[in-house]
Amino acid sequence: MSSSVLVVVEIRNGAPVRASLEALGVGRRIAGPPGSGTVTAVLLGSGSESSSTTVAERGVDKVLSVADPRFDAFHAVVWAAAIAAIAREIDAGTILVAGTSNGRELVGRLAARWEAAAVNGVADLSLAADGTLMAVRPVFSGRALQEVRVDQTRAVLGLRPNAFTAPEPSGSKASVEAHPTPDLGQLPALGVVSGFEPAQTGSGPDLSEALVVVSGGRGLRGPENFRLLEDLAGALGGAIGASRAVTDSGWKPASFQVGQTGRTVSPQLYIAVGISGAIQHVVGMISSRTIVAINSDPNAPIFKVADYGVVGDLFQIVPALTAEIRRVRGS
Amino acid sequence: MELLVLIKPVPDPETRLRPNAAGTNLDTDGVKWVLTGYDESAVEQALLLKEAIPGSKVRAIAFGPAPRTEEILRSALALGCDAATWVEQPADTPTDPMRAAAALTVACQKTPFDLILVGKQALDDEAGLVGPALAERLGIADYGPVVDVRWDAAGRRFTFARAVEGGSDRVSAPTPLVVCLQQAWNDPRTAKLQNVLKARRIAIDKVTWAEVAAGIGSAAPGTHVTAFRLPPPRTGAKMIEYRTPDEAAQKLVRLLREEAKVLP
Ligand SMILES: Cc1cc2nc3c(=O)[nH]c(=O)nc-3n(C[C@H](O)[C@H](O)[C@H](O)COP(=O)(O)OP(=O)(O)OC[C@H]3O[C@@H](n4cnc5c(N)ncnc54)[C@H](O)[C@@H]3O)c2cc1C
Repeated sequence: MSSSVLVVVEIRNGAPVRASLEALGVGRRIAGPPGSGTVTAVLLGSGSESSSTTVAERGVDKVLSVADPRFDAFHAVVWAAAIAAIAREIDAGTILVAGTSNGRELVGRLAARWEAAAVNGVADLSLAADGTLMAVRPVFSGRALQEVRVDQTRAVLGLRPNAFTAPEPSGSKASVEAHPTPDLGQLPALGVVSGFEPAQTGSGPDLSEALVVVSGGRGLRGPENFRLLEDLAGALGGAIGASRAVTDSGWKPASFQVGQTGRTVSPQLYIAVGISGAIQHVVGMISSRTIVAINSDPNAPIFKVADYGVVGDLFQIVPALTAEIRRVRGS
Repeated sequence: MELLVLIKPVPDPETRLRPNAAGTNLDTDGVKWVLTGYDESAVEQALLLKEAIPGSKVRAIAFGPAPRTEEILRSALALGCDAATWVEQPADTPTDPMRAAAALTVACQKTPFDLILVGKQALDDEAGLVGPALAERLGIADYGPVVDVRWDAAGRRFTFARAVEGGSDRVSAPTPLVVCLQQAWNDPRTAKLQNVLKARRIAIDKVTWAEVAAGIGSAAPGTHVTAFRLPPPRTGAKMIEYRTPDEAAQKLVRLLREEAKVLP
């Protein structure tokens, strides 16, 4: 297998997304130390030049920036055509893609285009002694784990956000090259992306990427009490989520809903406040690293899946918790 | 308008998951296979389109082993799909999502279509590879994960939202097109008994494995599942004992910092 790794870096709001930086760390690890295999990062779209510098200090060997506005809107077919062409040019063996919404869609398309194997949702990745890639991925909403062996010399791997550590900027800087737009071949009729509508999820980080998620349920009793959770999430730098009881009652828009018919989240810390722990809610958050439950009912099923439980009145516990976190963080 | 909807039989979400004896896969003994999740949404969306655009036909297509794949197609027919194609996967033939996409491409190429609807991922392996890979093989555009699908009267152009981090992109796209659905209806339709009976009499078209193999070549799948295991069981929460809310908060924060190490 070629030990040349290509990492696709996605740009949002003028900066590389964190999940892409995490992918750079994985790329370095599977390519081997600098000098053995090469890690090339590729950025597409008008913002690629300014984002390249951040990427260049994260342990890569080379950064390619394709500053063509045709890549600004995401069309999987256009991205796949460009990245497959660059992968051929640099004779890559593995392409790593961050598992954002765009990235998840890109993996299958790119693998078909580049005639490669594909694995999505990778939460752990290792190299066997003979260089075979072994991926671990949660399946069945995190209720089971699958180990997948890659049996082809080319592979496209989609990495789960928050599963790997992003490398810190190092002193050394890789070279940044402006790369011309590759030949995209004949493209099919495309859609027109007419605009972006921000979700009403407040000012914090996005729910599916946040490292901390504070979710509220029917126990909150009304939309006005979400202020308590906003204070807590604010102190933790986290995002707000909700149970379906909350979104169905219109206390929060549907974009806040965590669970089977809502969003799946896997933050480092998930705090469930006034949520009973119905299975349809739990499948959306069970792969969180640490789960805290605050509920007045000692028999609430949420305590079976939580790591830490506080039985009590959320209207007393949550403000105390917010105050304690502010105190230890010195703010 | 010709609509294709791709579906996959998956274990009932209530299934108690167990690895098989070798630890290489799910033990499927006694598993009930159902149409669920985003696949169920794709069928619902196809049927809504059929009802809205006169002269539309919906064909359900599924790749997998007998008998569960035919059964899932029967449930799609009972819900109101007009025709069904079973793409055969002989027992013990190894496959992976990219191969499933290739096999389904063979079936799609045998029938005219304007719009292909697929779930953005299946509820079992959650790979999310089939729709985009199929679109690439067919040489047409795909968009996902999609919610809120709208259409013009002729069914030539669709507008929808792609759910992305922080919001959604509004997209308008012409046919032919693959749409990977994330839409979830809280109450998709259920089949009426008389339609369940009627569905049993509809002939299901079959694409044989020989036809598939001729279309995709004989190369082995690019990936193999080598292990299937359950995560360590959650043993129940460590309960915080306290006299005052402040004490509860202090104890919890200490545990989060020193034991769980999730707070700086
Ligand atoms: C097909 C289907 C799909 C579904 N999809 C989802 C989904 O995606 N997401 C989802 O969340 N649900 C989903 N549900 C609904 C799910 O079954 C539950 O009904 C829902 O999760 C309950 O929300 P809840 O926990 O907020 O409310 P409840 O179950 O009513 O729980 C409220 C909790 O608050 C506690 N409480 C009350 N007052 C206080 C207080 N003062 N202090 C502390 N605790 C207090 C109570 O003890 C209780 O445990 C789905 C259901 C179906 C049938």
